[in-house]
Amino acid sequence: MIKFENVGKVYPNGFEGLKHVDLTIEQGEFVAIIGLSGAGKSTLIRTINRMHDVTSGKLTVDDVDVMSLSGKQLRRFRRKIGMIFQSFNLITRTTVIKNVLTAFVPDMPWYRSAFGIYTKEEKIKALECLDKVGILDKAFVRADQLSGGQQQRVALARTLAQSPQIILADEPVAALDPVTANQVMGDFKRINEDMNISILINIHHIDLALKYATRVVGIREGEIVFDGPASGATQEVLDRIYNGKVDRDGNIQEEG
Amino acid sequence: MKLGLYDKIFKPREYVLPNGKKAYKKASRAPIYLILILAMSALSVKITGFDMKILVSRIGQFFVILGEMFPPKTSVMPVVWTPLFDTIKMSLLGSVVGALLSVPFAMLASTNVCPSKVVVSIVRVMFSLIRTLPTIVIALVATLVFGLGTLAGTVAIAVFSFGYIGKLTYEEIETVDMGAFEAMQAMGATRSQAFVSAIIPQVLPFYLSNCLFNFEGNVRYAAVLGYVGAGGIGLILNEKISWREYPSVGMILIALFVTVFIIETVSRTLRKKLV
Amino acid sequence: MNQRIQAAYEKRPKDWVYNLITALVVVGLLVWSGSAVETSGSTQDGGQIALNVLSGIFHPDLEFLFDFSTKGVPYLMLETICIAFLGTIVGAIISVPLAFISASNLTPKPIAFAGRIIIMMARTIPAFVYGLMFIRVTGPGAFAGLLTMGVCSIGMISKMYIEAIEDLDTKVVESLDAAGCNTWQKIRYGILPQLMPNFASTAIYRFDINLRDATILGMVGAGGFGAPLIFAMNSYRWNEAGALLAGLIVLILIIEYISTRIRVKLTRG
Repeated sequence: MIKFENVGKVYPNGFEGLKHVDLTIEQGEFVAIIGLSGAGKSTLIRTINRMHDVTSGKLTVDDVDVMSLSGKQLRRFRRKIGMIFQSFNLITRTTVIKNVLTAFVPDMPWYRSAFGIYTKEEKIKALECLDKVGILDKAFVRADQLSGGQQQRVALARTLAQSPQIILADEPVAALDPVTANQVMGDFKRINEDMNISILINIHHIDLALKYATRVVGIREGEIVFDGPASGATQEVLDRIYNGKVDRDGNIQEEG
Repeated sequence: MKLGLYDKIFKPREYVLPNGKKAYKKASRAPIYLILILAMSALSVKITGFDMKILVSRIGQFFVILGEMFPPKTSVMPVVWTPLFDTIKMSLLGSVVGALLSVPFAMLASTNVCPSKVVVSIVRVMFSLIRTLPTIVIALVATLVFGLGTLAGTVAIAVFSFGYIGKLTYEEIETVDMGAFEAMQAMGATRSQAFVSAIIPQVLPFYLSNCLFNFEGNVRYAAVLGYVGAGGIGLILNEKISWREYPSVGMILIALFVTVFIIETVSRTLRKKLV
Repeated sequence: MNQRIQAAYEKRPKDWVYNLITALVVVGLLVWSGSAVETSGSTQDGGQIALNVLSGIFHPDLEFLFDFSTKGVPYLMLETICIAFLGTIVGAIISVPLAFISASNLTPKPIAFAGRIIIMMARTIPAFVYGLMFIRVTGPGAFAGLLTMGVCSIGMISKMYIEAIEDLDTKVVESLDAAGCNTWQKIRYGILPQLMPNFASTAIYRFDINLRDATILGMVGAGGFGAPLIFAMNSYRWNEAGALLAGLIVLILIIEYISTRIRVKLTRG
């Protein structure tokens, strides 16, 4: 369970990223966070595994105060939270399986991590994760030879390999074409349902958000302006989130 | 349009189109550069005593020695092998030692790995100071400290490689894609684990390629080092030159050429595979 | 365990043999190269000498450093700059025809290959050999030095010129062709604008290197600060050597700063 209680975030330059955020997410939910660029979507997601610090209020994950963690505890805490990025953040010069295997590095003794020595069990587990996202046949191909959609699946497999309870996805389909985006969203949905992993996803494509997520959170200028089931995101709600610029299919409305 | 001091003195040229719109063209800087280059050349010609007439009338002398080198004296080869291999060994060991030692310092000089700005600047200043020291001076000091012989040459090459590889490596580390590093941290890896898993695979091919390139150049450099007594082929080359045994000099140069050619070809093939 | 995963695991590339061989070759080469490390043994205590060197470098001979006559450090530096400057120009000029001959996209393969061999040969001959050869032409001094610098620069400059020529964007020439330009116009407006910044940038870079390498000229008496530096060091006058090195370091850092800025401007426009 992720719980924001009156959380605020002020950047060092004085910009307010989050204001008075109250939000509770139960285990196993699929939440889409929508809003304009710069509204605070990324900030919201990145505070959960403390890639960003919050500056006021209280943020707890499974009753652990995130801001109280540091050093080893924080790293241990991050092990159960997976993260997916818009630009995939793979090590492009190495093979797919080596990318997935890096998920085990934090738990390995130093001499194994220094020389990149992995056990057979780890390799099998990595292959299983690749199989779950349907790219087992690409395991020994170099990551930069895959298409964008395949690369995002490698990133997903890498996250699965750390057996997370929560997956945070920061614009995971923004760099993909519509068909691939749908496939990757489908992967998220399946993982969410089959493995009861909570998924929080930042997304620009409203149509995809409404189609796959069970819950939608709308954010504008650092404040939550909508929180409810996907079916509740009416045109009026979207107008509030996007200052009246977008319709339910994600099309930009003509001014006037 | 931003106007600097230069543009205020030499006003931009204004073009008026038939429809009344205006376009501006900044005054060209080319005349200034041209004047600077010409002035510098004139000064240099005066100071160095450059004289085209002497050059044209006496250039034949240049080819006299070159001509005496042919035909090369093949019988000198037996005494060439050992110093030739010494030169290669010196360059190889020096390059490897220098390149390995430079890695931790290159890490300290990269802003995206080392959080302390003070450390970054100190290490960078150290790198640029080392690179300004002429190799021949390092070799000379090394012969005084370690005595004449290949050890001095090896040390000089190691110091040079340290500065050269160090600079290239920290520049490489700084331009690396930090996405994978961020992903590792989000998964709960420490900074050093993230560095090993996410940055090294990106930097390693370029690092190795730079090391090979550095080694190529060092073989040629090592040939010069013998002049100050730092061992290798330069020693015997210098000896033959001062005895005016030009056919032997020719043979040594040919041996050096073939060696450098082989090393460059092998190294280029390896570098193509790496990057 | 899943059958397919087992199969995929069995198919993994077995690269440990390759890695092992590479490791063995590298270690073997290192052991081999270690065998050459020998020294005649230092006549004095090496550590003491190292300390003397350091103390000399940190206590440069200030009188020498700020002596503005033709025997002082500033003049020697100026002379060195002039040698490197003219040397670079000489090298750059000789490199242009060589580079055009050796560029594989312009000339037939055999000629290009011959050109490359000439460049490689020019590069292999050590600087002091050139120095001695040019001293026969001009007598000892800065003149010989700049000629040496020039020929020594050919290798690198022409190599980079060749790369620039081979990277030429021929589409521009094509469009000029379509616009009805003649050969000379095509070279003037299609090729030169592409090459000039690149050529200039290379020359500036080489000037930077020549300044660093100028010490070598001193060994054969071809001008610059190299000869006084080596004399000072050979006769253990470390304060004098320190003054020369201090001047050299300041000079190189300034020149490096300026040349980097100009080159960035040249490439970014």
